[in-house]
Amino acid sequence: MGFLAPAFLFGALAVGVPLYLHLLRRNTSTPMPFSSLMFFERRPQSAVQRRRLRYWLLLALRLAVLLLLALAFAEPYVSRSIAGIVPEKLMLLVVDDSFSMRAGTRLDEAKRQALAVLDRRRSSDRAQVLALGAQVHLLTQPTQDKRSPREAVESIQPGDSRGSFGTLATVVRSIADSEKVPVEVHLFSDLQRTGMPPSFAEMALPGSVSLQLHDVGGPPAPNWTVESVAAPRQVWDPRTVHIQAVVAGYGTPAAMRTVSFAINGKTVSTQRVNVPASGRATVELDSLDLPYGLSRGSVRIDSADALAADDELLYVIERSDRKRGLFVYQPADTRSALYFGSALTAAAQSSVALDKVTVDRLADTDPTQYSFVVISDVESLPAGFADRLLQYIKRGGSALVALGTVAGQQKQIPLFGGDILSLHNYSRESERFAAVGEASTTYPAAGSPEEWEGVRFFYAATVDERGARVGVRLQDRTPLLLEKAIGEGRVVLFTSGFDNLTNDLPLRPVFVAFVERAVRYLTGGEVESSSRRVDELLQLRTQREAAGVGVEVIDPSGQRGLTLHDSASAQTYPLSRTGFYEVRLANGRHDLVAANPDRRESDLTPMASDVLALWRGGNASEGAVAGAPGPASAAPGAPPPPLSGAAPPPSTLKSSLWWYAISGLLILALAESLIGSGYLGTLRDEP
Amino acid sequence: MSRFLDPAVLAAISGLDLVAKTVVDGFVAGLHRSADLGFSQEFAEYRAYTPGDDLRHVDWNVFARAERMYLKRYRGETNSLLTLLLDASNSMNFNSHAVAKMSYARYLAAAMFYLAIRKQRDAAGLLVFDDEVRDYIRPSTRQGQLQRLFAGLEGAEPRARTSFDAPMQHLQAFLKRRGIVVIFSDFYAKPDEIIRAIEPLRFHGNEIVLFHILDPREIKPELGSSSVLVDLETDIRLEVNADYVAREYQEKIASHIEALRDGAQRAGMSYQLLITDRPLDGALREYLTIRLQGR
Repeated sequence: MGFLAPAFLFGALAVGVPLYLHLLRRNTSTPMPFSSLMFFERRPQSAVQRRRLRYWLLLALRLAVLLLLALAFAEPYVSRSIAGIVPEKLMLLVVDDSFSMRAGTRLDEAKRQALAVLDRRRSSDRAQVLALGAQVHLLTQPTQDKRSPREAVESIQPGDSRGSFGTLATVVRSIADSEKVPVEVHLFSDLQRTGMPPSFAEMALPGSVSLQLHDVGGPPAPNWTVESVAAPRQVWDPRTVHIQAVVAGYGTPAAMRTVSFAINGKTVSTQRVNVPASGRATVELDSLDLPYGLSRGSVRIDSADALAADDELLYVIERSDRKRGLFVYQPADTRSALYFGSALTAAAQSSVALDKVTVDRLADTDPTQYSFVVISDVESLPAGFADRLLQYIKRGGSALVALGTVAGQQKQIPLFGGDILSLHNYSRESERFAAVGEASTTYPAAGSPEEWEGVRFFYAATVDERGARVGVRLQDRTPLLLEKAIGEGRVVLFTSGFDNLTNDLPLRPVFVAFVERAVRYLTGGEVESSSRRVDELLQLRTQREAAGVGVEVIDPSGQRGLTLHDSASAQTYPLSRTGFYEVRLANGRHDLVAANPDRRESDLTPMASDVLALWRGGNASEGAVAGAPGPASAAPGAPPPPLSGAAPPPSTLKSSLWWYAISGLLILALAESLIGSGYLGTLRDEP
Repeated sequence: MSRFLDPAVLAAISGLDLVAKTVVDGFVAGLHRSADLGFSQEFAEYRAYTPGDDLRHVDWNVFARAERMYLKRYRGETNSLLTLLLDASNSMNFNSHAVAKMSYARYLAAAMFYLAIRKQRDAAGLLVFDDEVRDYIRPSTRQGQLQRLFAGLEGAEPRARTSFDAPMQHLQAFLKRRGIVVIFSDFYAKPDEIIRAIEPLRFHGNEIVLFHILDPREIKPELGSSSVLVDLETDIRLEVNADYVAREYQEKIASHIEALRDGAQRAGMSYQLLITDRPLDGALREYLTIRLQGR
């Protein structure tokens, strides 16, 4: 028996209080005058009589209450042998089904060893089967049944996720907390080094868990992979497309690899590249015969290695006509159109063409011909155009309004609505200019706060921001970039100008990024990258898009990925497999998403033996890993001290007696109350 | 009227004269004759002359007619002598309720003085003692005697210890005439020693009355399981337990009372136990009975 907090046992000294009250205090009585002691004899309570307590039962109860209270705080426990006293244990059979387990026969070997462990299981032991990927899937509940765990193991199929031992440790800790019996974890895995979390402490297991590692990776094998592909999501001129692929080798010798570029399954280019030993090589494609619409692109190498599944990397590329934007400005303002147009042109592979029109030539202009409209510091819009523009926005169009020094003279803000409350001429104030104070990272057009560093604003208008979403504010909290929904469309308001008079933004590099983000946002083209990772979540609808609008996902196997209920309500969809996902989003747009496994899975290097020993809490020299004689058991080196979190498999189990102490305490307290109450009644009845 | 004999009621009355008047008026209905035979005007009987009798009391008229000598005896009224001995030791100060033993004794003494002087026209005197004689007022029927006696009672504050030897010897020296000697005390001494000290008074022809005044809690103390008691006279502290008090003490005090009563009877004295929470009439009745039995 032991105590988790033995210091609380000092609380047992409090038993002196009732002892004092019962023994000592009762004997110290106030002297009482009496006429004569002639007939009295000295009859103090003898030592025996002193201890013969009239209220012995009450005293005993009070002492017991205090002792139990101290005992409960000290959290007593008894150590019991797991083997002798606790006949039952929980076996967690964790089969790694991450992407790297596709290499060779690793998964089959893992399943075979798991079944062998299940066969050796004692009938009193319960077993639970888990599959380890980016998440841990509980394939069965803890059971003594022989059949269901076997079926669960046999049903495990290779996955495309990235295995995470940190996630596994979290799940095991959770299970161990809820289980009162020892937990024996059998991990059947290739024990990839890249599966480790950034901090080893995240892998720590509680003391009641014993970890047995079954390495099914075998000796480390060389592996080439297409590590990444940089391809634009949208192109409007295939002749200018630029695609770059990186081929990487892990544990590989220097070798010549053939790289094939394919579009919609048709190889369009093949190149050979020298990949240095355990290094990287880059392959580029500068023109592409690309049909209109969404195309399924892939880059493939001829690796002939153990993990063939990572020899290909998928991406999506879309060819479309260039989008057109309308830029409206004052005839006198030549700077805004120049800067904005130049920035848009400079934006990488822009697919937007900008029509610049002065405000006096807008009479017959139809805004519906444009993907977006920019109103740059205009005093007023022609009435007919203003009406058409408003209708255009209400039907889903979008516009960007800049309030320069001309527009700032007006009382009302065009399109955006609301009043201009005041104008800030920072150049006339002591600070001379204002910088950006905060930028919302959740607002697509805002960018990060760091990007805005150094930009000086000399002029800005303060507007009524009620009902608007503020993306960027200046240091004095003047809103700089706001958005307001009008009908089904949106109007973005920039409270300064696009010239270099009201600010120096157009002269800064951030202006190009800002214009690109803003235009992309206005055109509804917040496109995702051309290639996504497996395990990422695909956003099906934004928060503004109401539930009930159906979305649809067709997975790489051609099956519908959502149930009817999910298609009406799901916000996201997990990309769990490699391949192309066809998506119909809530806004009605059709999309194609390429999902590729995390390329860290391609590095098949296992964890070092000392790390494995550390994880097990054992000795590296013991031959830490069961199964094939891999590098884990062969690695030399002094055995590292076990981590406190990764304790050795316990031979005993600490059973807490806290509940017993508390239960006894409650019972004794109740009895003390009853008996004490009885004694009080007795005292009152005495003459 | 018995309510006026309740010591608790009397404790609310200031002034011993008023207390005494209240008690006596409440208790005695009218005058009664002196029980003591004396030599006054009212004829009682004739008695044959025996040698040694005073010839002055011979009825010579009867002798002339019958030639026999008879003494003529009369019924007297105020020729008795009452001497009160009041124990003023510290133990008399004990009280467990409104009336201390000393107060109870004062009330009773005052009533008896009033009765003797105002109603019976007896001479009355007071001796206050503890372990020695603290105050002595010679028995008298003089004008103002009652006030002197009351003042003597008022001034008798309890202190010191009790001892009967010295006061009794002192009284024997002063007491020339026989009469009634009444002793108020709690008699915390050995009964045979008390009797031995008082007995000489009896030999002088005095009628001795012992009024044993005790507080009810002296008969049956109420103590906790373990208590420390302080002797009012000696200041000695003693730790006693409840079991002893409940059994042995009560046996001892009862035995003491019984021994004192027996000793008094054997010595021809009267004994009366007075508990301070009881009315005064028992003591007065005892006194009058003795007075009527007197000679």
